[in-house]
Amino acid sequence: MLQQRGSTPIEILRYAIIAVILTVSLFPIAWLITTSFKPADDIMVSPPRFVFKPTLDNYVYALQKANFAHFIENTLYVAVVSTVIVIVLSSLASYSFARYNPGGGNILFFILTTKMFPAIAVVLPYFLIFKEIGDTAVGKAIGIGLDRQGALIVSYTMFNLPFAIWLMVSFFQDIPRELEDSARLDGYNRLQVLWRVVLPLAAPGIAVTAIFCLLFSWNEFLFAYILTRDAARTITVGVESFFTLRGILWGPVAAAATISVAPMLVFVLILQRYMVRGLTFGAVRG
Amino acid sequence: MESAATKNPGPATKARRTMSDTWYSILLIAPAMVIILFFALVPLFYAIDVSFRQADLTMGGIQGFVGLRNYREVLHEAYFWQSVRTTVVFTFFAIVIEMGLGIFVAFLIHGATVGKGLIRSLVILPLATAPAVTGLFWRYLYDTQFGLYNYFLSVLGLPWQPNWLGDIKLGLWSVIIFDVWLWMPFVALIALAGLQSLPKEPFEAAELDGASSFRVLRTLTFPMLTPVLMLVFILRTIDCLRLYDSVATLTRGGPGSVTETLTYYLYRQGLVFFRMDYASTMALLFMYAVILASGYALRPLLARLAMRAGQR
Repeated sequence: MLQQRGSTPIEILRYAIIAVILTVSLFPIAWLITTSFKPADDIMVSPPRFVFKPTLDNYVYALQKANFAHFIENTLYVAVVSTVIVIVLSSLASYSFARYNPGGGNILFFILTTKMFPAIAVVLPYFLIFKEIGDTAVGKAIGIGLDRQGALIVSYTMFNLPFAIWLMVSFFQDIPRELEDSARLDGYNRLQVLWRVVLPLAAPGIAVTAIFCLLFSWNEFLFAYILTRDAARTITVGVESFFTLRGILWGPVAAAATISVAPMLVFVLILQRYMVRGLTFGAVRG
Repeated sequence: MESAATKNPGPATKARRTMSDTWYSILLIAPAMVIILFFALVPLFYAIDVSFRQADLTMGGIQGFVGLRNYREVLHEAYFWQSVRTTVVFTFFAIVIEMGLGIFVAFLIHGATVGKGLIRSLVILPLATAPAVTGLFWRYLYDTQFGLYNYFLSVLGLPWQPNWLGDIKLGLWSVIIFDVWLWMPFVALIALAGLQSLPKEPFEAAELDGASSFRVLRTLTFPMLTPVLMLVFILRTIDCLRLYDSVATLTRGGPGSVTETLTYYLYRQGLVFFRMDYASTMALLFMYAVILASGYALRPLLARLAMRAGQR
């Protein structure tokens, strides 16, 4: 295999290529963050300036012009609630598919096909549905309707569920059946087996799935763009509308973009170890 | 698949409460299925209904049935076929580059001896960013006057100063490059996880036999990685075919309409021209095509799954 006894020239070449790839991968992000701290005079210049006096002006301007704190709050709430719902529902379903395979693969395939309908075509009927529900007393009471957070929670639950079920099936398949059988012999009933034996063992896989769901929800654009206006607007749409209104002001746009992107960058940096471990544990062995 | 409850008598205390495996499995998937069925089928039936009607929202909204007229018109529309072509070209190149580069990067990192964890953390960072947001910022990076990319080209001494987002020959490539930047890490991450979970024994045996590295790769590594790579391939292909966010913020379909993918064209038909009938028809045609193709591609994967669920 490639990783064994690399001679020195090969190792140097390996790290040289890795360095190039990292540079290409990270430069756009680094440049985004740097631009957000640049004074206006240093942004629209050619050639680009790498040395400058950092300033918070762009952030001050962006935060004055748009309510980013409010957008972040909405995004966080919607992402967390929908992730919790998705995880609960998909762990039960994936366990069932992994152990009993109801529908003999057909139901599982059907679940995947729901991801094949273009989101843009889904969002229009949703718009009309949420418009209808929003005007009813029930819709008002549970916060579902246009420009209400519930509409996004429902939408994100819907589009993360198929992905989550598919990702988790193989995690559950990797748990040895013998463990469940012996727990049954010890007098556990089915729910106890699921709760005390299976779920703890699947925890790494569940964690990975949750990380991805949270990430997707945070970064989602289209549904938030169509279904919210102001009260429930999320951060990605906030940045987009900020850009549309003040197109060429790259400094404040970069500051707004950084506000939107930074939380997930930190989140992934902290948790990437678990992401890889979780994937190694399950999905991968198919 | 025998019912576990009938096979082993189990703890006597609970015997009266046992349920058949079938009912238990259905009960477990029920909550998720209710949501999926409702929120997937409602838009689907809505689209099927509208695709057979006249539905111009600027002229009287959703009206009477017109039979197959919308299907005929969409299939005769040159823009529709152009957007199909754009989508296929985009998907083909984006997938080939992402898979190739992603697998290559996975091997590079897998073999690294020092700083593996750090490299891995850094390499996946683009994945954490929102395509809609970074897509906006890439407009600045691609800028002909102030952009970094053309600056780097000139620093490298190349006379080539492309107009990334303005040149009709390059527009689609600018989107492909952006997509590769964003998603190559996903392929690399999963391929890396696959490499790390390969069992050691077959490789040790091959080494004892003195098999060449190339032979090990061809006969052991790649066959064992195939299921993972297949899954990534399918997920990425579906995503590429549905590409919307990055086109919406990076190019808005331009220059001209060279980056107008099918979903972006759909967006314009539905939400700019308000031709819901055409939009629904195209969405359905798109879905049928993808389901047919992926049903074929997924068959081996589903068969394996059924096998593993059935074995005891």
